Amino acid sequence: MRSFGGKSDVKISALGLGGHHLGDAPDEDTAIRICHEAIDGGITFFDNCWEYNRGKSENWMGKGLKGKRDQVFLMTKVCTHGRDAALATQMLEQSLRRLQTDHLDLWQIHGVSFDNDPELFIRPNGAAEALLKAKDQGKVRFLGFTGHKAPHIHLAMLETGFPFDAVQMPLNAFDATFRSFEREVLPKLSQRGIAALGMKPLTGKGEPLKKGLITPDQMLRYAMSLPVTTTITGIDKLDVLHQDLKIAQGFKPMSPQEMEDLRKQCSKLAADGRFEHYKVSLQFDNPEAREAHHFPIDPNQMEVKEMLLETVNTGSPWPDVKKS
Amino acid sequence: MAGRKEIMNQDTPPSEAQWMLHRRDFVKGAALTGAALIGGALAMAQNTITPPANPAGASSPTPVAPSDQQPVPTKKAGNTGLTLSAMGIGGFHLGTASSQDVATQIVHGALDAGINFFDNAWEYHEGESENRLGNALKGRRDQAIVMTKVCTHGRGKDVAMRMLEESLSRLQTNYLDVWQIHEVIYYNDPDLIFSPGGAAEALLEAKKQGKVRFIGFTGHKDPAIHLRMLSHNFPFDTVQMPLNCFDATFRSFETQVLPEANRRQLAVFGMKSLGGSGEMVTRGAITPEEGLRYAMSLPVATTISGIDTLNVLKQNLEILRDFKPMTDSEMADLRDRCRSLAGDGHLERFKTSLFYDGDLGREQHGFPSSKEVPL
Repeated sequence: MRSFGGKSDVKISALGLGGHHLGDAPDEDTAIRICHEAIDGGITFFDNCWEYNRGKSENWMGKGLKGKRDQVFLMTKVCTHGRDAALATQMLEQSLRRLQTDHLDLWQIHGVSFDNDPELFIRPNGAAEALLKAKDQGKVRFLGFTGHKAPHIHLAMLETGFPFDAVQMPLNAFDATFRSFEREVLPKLSQRGIAALGMKPLTGKGEPLKKGLITPDQMLRYAMSLPVTTTITGIDKLDVLHQDLKIAQGFKPMSPQEMEDLRKQCSKLAADGRFEHYKVSLQFDNPEAREAHHFPIDPNQMEVKEMLLETVNTGSPWPDVKKS
Repeated sequence: MAGRKEIMNQDTPPSEAQWMLHRRDFVKGAALTGAALIGGALAMAQNTITPPANPAGASSPTPVAPSDQQPVPTKKAGNTGLTLSAMGIGGFHLGTASSQDVATQIVHGALDAGINFFDNAWEYHEGESENRLGNALKGRRDQAIVMTKVCTHGRGKDVAMRMLEESLSRLQTNYLDVWQIHEVIYYNDPDLIFSPGGAAEALLEAKKQGKVRFIGFTGHKDPAIHLRMLSHNFPFDTVQMPLNCFDATFRSFETQVLPEANRRQLAVFGMKSLGGSGEMVTRGAITPEEGLRYAMSLPVATTISGIDTLNVLKQNLEILRDFKPMTDSEMADLRDRCRSLAGDGHLERFKTSLFYDGDLGREQHGFPSSKEVPL
């Protein structure tokens, strides 16, 4: 258990359960079992997002947390992608319903990926206003934002002066030498007492693991050894949960020398960013975020096809939410 | 669904073939009358820009345009003492031109108009770009300021010196005015270039031997990499970077690198003023005039423009002759207009995709070909 940023009275587990992969579990029962066993294994930080798997991730987590809501620190994210405060508030109500709760512990702006996102967030009537209102109303305890694209965009979000409690970012041994959140953003958060939430400890899709370049144990230990509040990792199967719990329960932080060695080992592979797709590729951008910004989307992309399939009957890419 | 369909139709990313097709023809259709606009260039009295009829530096090797031509504006190039035409001819597109004959006509047309700066690289079209420029400059070498680039991509001094000899022989000359390290785009490139026996040593050696007058580097990927190169305090004379009205609000070389380069009094060569292949124009975001004027109004020594047809040459010459630097507020307005489109970098694909990253460079870094990693 670790302190939530500068708030030493709030403790959360060093490993967090990622919401996206929960919706990728083979079925609802498995997802519920993952939630239960994660709690039993000591995981208290639960991540989610309004748009993950078109609501399935939140729905399944809501079911998995029935009767256990008080045992976890629950976070979800809002997907305004530059749009206004009213839309954000609608999304909050929907997230609360799906998660079967009346409050969130942490509510974050999702996918701050584009260079003009910070100014759209902080503009009059932008999503920033919805965040503050929700906190005032007691519907959320803490506020934050997340993004996977570029450290300078995170820094621009911090520059807006908004009182963030938490910031989520990719942190892994590849990041350390390529457009590095670890070097550019993490120290700023420590200075300001903002809770740092690490994600993509295995580089998102785990490609370097599949290629045998590095082991999950090395990657997860590296991420957890950084000065973060928690490391969120995607778990879509019970054996992945068991593997991760084992690593977390036996966790000994790496020494600075071990970390330096691992960074060095990865630095040559990291220099073109191909193992960190989320930083370099427009193809891996969330198509709904791109569309909200009026950026072109690729109709052949799998995610776009799924989006179209899902929305073909509603005519709206954002089901159940009125376009503002 | 109507709205969605519209989006899909208009904004579907084009295939590479479509891009290549588009890039040939971003000449503005109308207003290509041959009549030069007298007086435009002469009216410019900016401190960094002078019409060549009265070149600022007496020692300038710049040829004066033939007297019957309207002059093109020139600029001083950092601390080099060179005076360059405000627009330079890009070498890659000389290799894209339909034939040697067309390339020669482009080079001669440019020289006759007063353009004196010619860009190239050892690896462009596997040497064909250098060959074509060399053939076109036969007998006129002294009128041109010739730059080419060395393509070590992390390899050492010996490779660089071999490439230099090849470049000189293809360009049919015994010296280069500027020799730059090409495509510094990977995050470990500065470390490799400045390691013992690295390419940086070749630059110094070639300069000492009198084979090159000035040395520099170029890259299109990330301002952070350029800054790291500069942080080595190596005696670079020149630096090349993408500069355009989109760059200003997206991973910006203009705001992060250009001031530092100016502070060091380097000669700055701007490139990709229209997106690299005219993307900004073909997508209807800006006109060629706006893009080139913006780029040329920045504190740079020249703006390199890729020209592969006589039509594009004609268009660019007209813009160049008529060039009046934008005012600060005109520049700010154009940046603002492009800001929301610039937010994801889809019109600056050299920063956001592998499309502009050479396979030779990827191979030398041990990276798979861009075709295998469609980022």
